[in-house]
Amino acid sequence: MTADRLPATAKRGWSLYDPRLAWLLVAPAALLLICFMILPIVVMGIYTFYTFVTAGVEEASLTVANWHEFFTDSYYHGFLLKTLRVGMVTALICAVVGYFPAYFIWATAFRQKWLLLLLLIVPFWISFTIRTFSWIHILGEQGLINVWAMKLGLIEAPMQMLYTEGAVIMGLLHFLLPYMILNIYVSLEGIDRTLVQAARSMGCTNAQAFREVTLPLSLPGLAAGLMLCFVLAAGSYVTPQLLGSGRDALFGNLIYDTIMGQLNWPMGATLSIVLFFILGSVAAIYTRFMGMSQIVKGLGG
Amino acid sequence: MKLSSTTRLERLKDRYQQGDLDRRRFLGLTAAAAASAGIFLPWGNKALAQVKNVRFDGWGGTVQEAMDKYAFQPYTAKTSISVVQGTFGDETEIIAKAKTSAPGDFQIVHSSGVEYYVRYVNSGLTSEINEANIPNMANVMQAMIDPFRKITPKLSAVPYNYGTTGIAYNTTVISPEEAAAKGAALLTDPAYKGKIGGYDSMTTRVWYGALGSGQDPNNIQDIEAVWAKVREQRDLAKKFWASGAELMDLLSKGEIVVSEAWSGRVAALQQQGHPIGYIDPPGSYAWMEDLLVLKGSPMAECEELINFMLDVETSIAVSEGQSYPPSLDPTKVELTDKIKAMPAFDPTGKMESLTFADPIYWAEHETDWAKQWDRIAKGA
Amino acid sequence: MSRPRRKSWSSEGRLAWALTRIITLLVYIFMFAPIVATVVLSFNASQFGGFPMTGFSLRWYEVLWQNARVIEAFQISLWIALVTAVVTTLLGIVTAFALVRFDFLGKSILGTVVILPALVPETILGVGLLILIKAIETPRSLGILVLGHILLALPYVVLIAQARMVGVKRIYEEAAMSLGASRLATFRAITLPLLLPAVVAGALLAFTISFDNTSASLFWRPAGVETMPTQILSMLKTSISPEVNALGTVMIVMTVGIPLIGGILVQVVSRLKKRTTRETAK
Repeated sequence: MTADRLPATAKRGWSLYDPRLAWLLVAPAALLLICFMILPIVVMGIYTFYTFVTAGVEEASLTVANWHEFFTDSYYHGFLLKTLRVGMVTALICAVVGYFPAYFIWATAFRQKWLLLLLLIVPFWISFTIRTFSWIHILGEQGLINVWAMKLGLIEAPMQMLYTEGAVIMGLLHFLLPYMILNIYVSLEGIDRTLVQAARSMGCTNAQAFREVTLPLSLPGLAAGLMLCFVLAAGSYVTPQLLGSGRDALFGNLIYDTIMGQLNWPMGATLSIVLFFILGSVAAIYTRFMGMSQIVKGLGG
Repeated sequence: MKLSSTTRLERLKDRYQQGDLDRRRFLGLTAAAAASAGIFLPWGNKALAQVKNVRFDGWGGTVQEAMDKYAFQPYTAKTSISVVQGTFGDETEIIAKAKTSAPGDFQIVHSSGVEYYVRYVNSGLTSEINEANIPNMANVMQAMIDPFRKITPKLSAVPYNYGTTGIAYNTTVISPEEAAAKGAALLTDPAYKGKIGGYDSMTTRVWYGALGSGQDPNNIQDIEAVWAKVREQRDLAKKFWASGAELMDLLSKGEIVVSEAWSGRVAALQQQGHPIGYIDPPGSYAWMEDLLVLKGSPMAECEELINFMLDVETSIAVSEGQSYPPSLDPTKVELTDKIKAMPAFDPTGKMESLTFADPIYWAEHETDWAKQWDRIAKGA
Repeated sequence: MSRPRRKSWSSEGRLAWALTRIITLLVYIFMFAPIVATVVLSFNASQFGGFPMTGFSLRWYEVLWQNARVIEAFQISLWIALVTAVVTTLLGIVTAFALVRFDFLGKSILGTVVILPALVPETILGVGLLILIKAIETPRSLGILVLGHILLALPYVVLIAQARMVGVKRIYEEAAMSLGASRLATFRAITLPLLLPAVVAGALLAFTISFDNTSASLFWRPAGVETMPTQILSMLKTSISPEVNALGTVMIVMTVGIPLIGGILVQVVSRLKKRTTRETAK
């Protein structure tokens, strides 16, 4: 009805919400996604079957040698497990530690709530590299903790805190906590507050109301946060590079060193595809049960 | 009237050359002018600067500063061809980058000798130098040119200097006698656990692993024994450094008291007054460095620059600045006492007293060993 | 009403609330302590990058200002980020518009795929694109780096614009068109102004994402080009010098200051807008 009154569009025989126009509008973005994401991953998949000749040289003759190496070499399995473990530990700590601030911001009577939220977003604006290396000032031999502890006479020699797995997890926490807090907060915000009051008026204690109403209703945000933190932690490269020793490398570092150090691109492609599939299936399982919407809210919020 | 940024830069340069400005102010103002140029002319200034320049990638720190001061700046002043510089900590980096760049993006590399030369040749990155354009090559030791010519009769690189990777130690902790007596074993001495360093590079790791396990680095019989030594040092080490500047940083702050080290960097530390000693244990890793011209470079300009750098006076000045002996033949050219006193200096010009890596042998094993070291570094 | 009244709280509840407050405080300290340490140390007179402070000095800023490589990296990052912000915002708004307003084949697939660059680890995207450009024998260039950054920022802009677009009732647009306004005029006069906050927020976010990108830039940057984060990484390789701290502080001021000012501007503009619309409505 409306469409008949639109001469400009009607003349060309296009309806108001014509799919063809939609296609035209999304074409540039779709093209970018295809050329810069989908196609590269496909080509990378093909590259895993290339033959590695010597550093920097590979041949297009197809082989399964790279896959064979990946599946038979326990070195890769060890790092894969370690990466998944670090990812899980980080995500869980994020969830436990992040729930409190999210709940606080939601529940507080504090007027300047926006300020608390803003402070959570500010770290996103600060260069990730800088946020990561700033930990060296806290954990290093000349870092805040060591210098003070020595001054106070608590320790005699500096403690080794930097270049350990603990430091890597610390750096990842620092990077991921805001994601977690915002995800939980977004889902807490979605809770109808009268539900909590209803529970209270029916004789629930605060703790019960929290357990029975608030917590279950915030689970989607918690789950989205866990998924996001896990995927981002397991895919990280710069944090272990800056805060860990060689031993604390994660799978991302293996990929980087294989590509940029050993110049073995076919193997590097293989490792990338492995990581892609593992993290991709985690995300797929998550969306299978929870759907995309929570993640969308968490990222966009 | 507003001056365009480029004109402003040129005026600044004139004033600088006339001595109106001191260097510090000049650099500051240049940066300011360049910044404003960059802000108003995105990438446009790149196109303007395209007039004539040569790209050079080196090892950074004191070594590159010496080259800049004694070779590049005078060269630019003379020819108005500027030298755009980059740095790297490990040469593998630059090979990786060159591999994924357009020919000509990287031009001259301060490459570390024949064993690396083979890798460039294998990756098809080398060029052919017209030696007629580099008359100063006549002064270069034949013993340094020959290994390159064995690999490619038409050279893509010209030897420039040489040095050793010996052992540096903090003399307040370790006496010269102890260092001399222990040699390579110092690097795996449990007494210095947590205070040992090492270079994060496969060749050096394997070389010292071989020395530590009593083998000939150019003919390793028992590679497992080498890896065992490499692991031993890894477990005792505080950190494996990734650049010459980091090595100097760690040694000067006392974070490490013993490490393999590049002779020139140790000499620089000694000149700064740090209590650092240096020994070349028997079989110490000697290397030569060359100016390597990559495929796609502007050959005439690169050759001109290399010829300029090999000029006896320039070469000696650079050599004294970076504390590595030059590739000039000491039997043909009179070198200074300072150079003669440098570690690794060979007065015969035959290079027989030094142990270099056998390029063919090392190229054969490069891939496997690089992978294995990568794994050991990650705790395997 | 935002939280259960304190009077009725059990002791258990009070304890839990106190715990929540303490942990929240600790989390905020955790988030900011290292950053504050970096800023403080950038004024350290000592030539080493760590504690203790030996005196207040601006000399590291001076050193920084004279570091031509840093200045160059800064310019490059600035330009890449500006181009990325502009292009991504255009692209994102148009895509979100299509995703919200239209029904078309492949809509749900596109809606999912467009979020993927935010979820796929950058290392993988980095390696993939590197291998692709090697395979088709295209050398790396600034153009590819910028397009890569646009890809990485696109999901966020689309999500923000989508969220906002849902709030803009299509009835407004249809009303304008039924009054004879052309499609483009409608978009310009009705949709875009209503979307303005999303446009600004998206542009700012795209700017910071690009300016801050590290992992992928390491793979994509062309020969000899350093962006700000990769420059910092290569400086860190040598040692933590006070110069790096100064650089960090400058970056913090830049990346926090610009969006803050932008955010305030948006507030002001939208408040003005509201007032004028209210007045015209009267």
